[in-house]
Amino acid sequence: MTPSSEVAREFPATLAGPYADGLDLPYWEGLRAGELRLQRCGECGLWIWGPRWMCGQCQVFDPEWVAVEAVGRVFSWSRTWHSFIPELAGELPFITVLVELPHAGGRRVLGLLTEDGDADIAIGDAVSGIIQQPADAPWPLLRWQRAGTPPETEQGEHR
Amino acid sequence: MTDSFLRGAAAVVGVSEFHYKRGESPDSELRMTLRAIVEAAADAGVSPREIDGFVSYGGGENDGTVVGSSLMSHRIRWSNMIWGGGGGGAAAAITNAAVAIAAGQAQCVVVYRAMAQQDSGRLGYAKHHFDGHMLPHGVGSPAQACALRTRRMLEHDGVPESAMRSLVLADYFHAQQNPSAAAFGRPLDETGYDASRMIVEPYRLYDCSRENDGAVALILVSADRAEALGPNPAYVLAGSQGAVGGYAVDTENDLDYTSAGFGGTAGVAETLWADAGLGPDQVDVVQVYENFSGSGVAALIDHSLCPPGADAGKVMTVENLTAPHGLLPVNTSGGNLADSFVNGMGLAVEAVRQVRGTSTNQVPDATVSLFIGGPMAAVSSSVLLCTRDVL
Repeated sequence: MTPSSEVAREFPATLAGPYADGLDLPYWEGLRAGELRLQRCGECGLWIWGPRWMCGQCQVFDPEWVAVEAVGRVFSWSRTWHSFIPELAGELPFITVLVELPHAGGRRVLGLLTEDGDADIAIGDAVSGIIQQPADAPWPLLRWQRAGTPPETEQGEHR
Repeated sequence: MTDSFLRGAAAVVGVSEFHYKRGESPDSELRMTLRAIVEAAADAGVSPREIDGFVSYGGGENDGTVVGSSLMSHRIRWSNMIWGGGGGGAAAAITNAAVAIAAGQAQCVVVYRAMAQQDSGRLGYAKHHFDGHMLPHGVGSPAQACALRTRRMLEHDGVPESAMRSLVLADYFHAQQNPSAAAFGRPLDETGYDASRMIVEPYRLYDCSRENDGAVALILVSADRAEALGPNPAYVLAGSQGAVGGYAVDTENDLDYTSAGFGGTAGVAETLWADAGLGPDQVDVVQVYENFSGSGVAALIDHSLCPPGADAGKVMTVENLTAPHGLLPVNTSGGNLADSFVNGMGLAVEAVRQVRGTSTNQVPDATVSLFIGGPMAAVSSSVLLCTRDVL
């Protein structure tokens, strides 16, 4: 994927960025390089998300960061009408999707749907990721848009 | 029945709770905490200076040394905070106090929680959770995080939306009998609920907890001391807390995503029933922490008080959920939605009232009273209170 400066909706991205301790820095650097990167244990192959310092299954530290194809299905979603986050007040309503990634062991990532907030979304809808780099933001963000056919799940187990 | 050393070792003998509209407390959290403790001590018939144990949860600046020194406690022996999970630790705090007493680590323990917007701001109990993997995706509040889980409970698991509405209407029904409830004199019916504005789908305005300034305190002593103090202690029958494997802070990757966190083999609910030596059918009255109606429904399902899926709608009717004659009376003071929200601890006081027989919506002959702490939190907890004859 190539980071796009064309932002489908003006979602501010100033809330983005790595933790102070750097644990998830490779995730953000991946977005800058045009990739969705998640952690996978080099020892047992377990996909890990959110970011962790070690694989709890085999106690190996510093799981690898692996590029994952940003396609998946909507595992759940919400439509926000109330201004909980002042930076997003101008975008109400908006839809947040929780996306299950078949190419990352069924791990789930959150993201905003680029469509209008009244879109008729449903669990199971196929989505694909796009990386956006708003001009005023320090880090790019992964957003989601509806795709055609849902991809088959490679691995049903989450862990 | 297990031979849990906790069973009946301690009892709640004094309570206090008061609340203000959000932001309108004239007092700081520390001053409200002290007032609640002094009132609870008077209710118990003990001197505040006897209190040697201090337990809270969900944050707050006023630890046992701060509170104990203000009270001029003779000795501080136990100063504990339940880590994590906002209101998830509410019931665990009571268990923590009972453990201290059962283990001989303290003799008179107060469980307390105070919230004042002037001190900790809005949503002061929930600030830690929302990071760079949630905020830029529009998720910056417990309502939005819980809405994602409730959406799947409805759309995938098949729980009908009527289950949520019934819980809300039961809360409002009970509040009409409780003069101190924020919604006293403001009844709500199906039409009013259905017409209310969306906050974050599937939650409407009335599905979402209020926030209040206020304070709550409960005082626990040993069973022997409790008997000497008064006629109606609320004994701690069993308490359970924690997170089953695969359910914790995990950026929306919890294994049982539509659970409220109490479920699973050897989970909080299953452990609670095993330790208590009784099952959900033997509970007379329930106070369930409903930060949002949907997560409250999920918590009831986790505790097997309500079936999962479409059948949830058969149990979750206003008739079933209301005192005095419903099959499953819940939130009999009005709950977090219609009474008040001081991080959910007001529910614990109502659970005690039901054992004492002093609720404004008293369930006749209630002997087993369940308090379910905050759902969909990294740590969740439940505690069973009972009368002497249940032990």
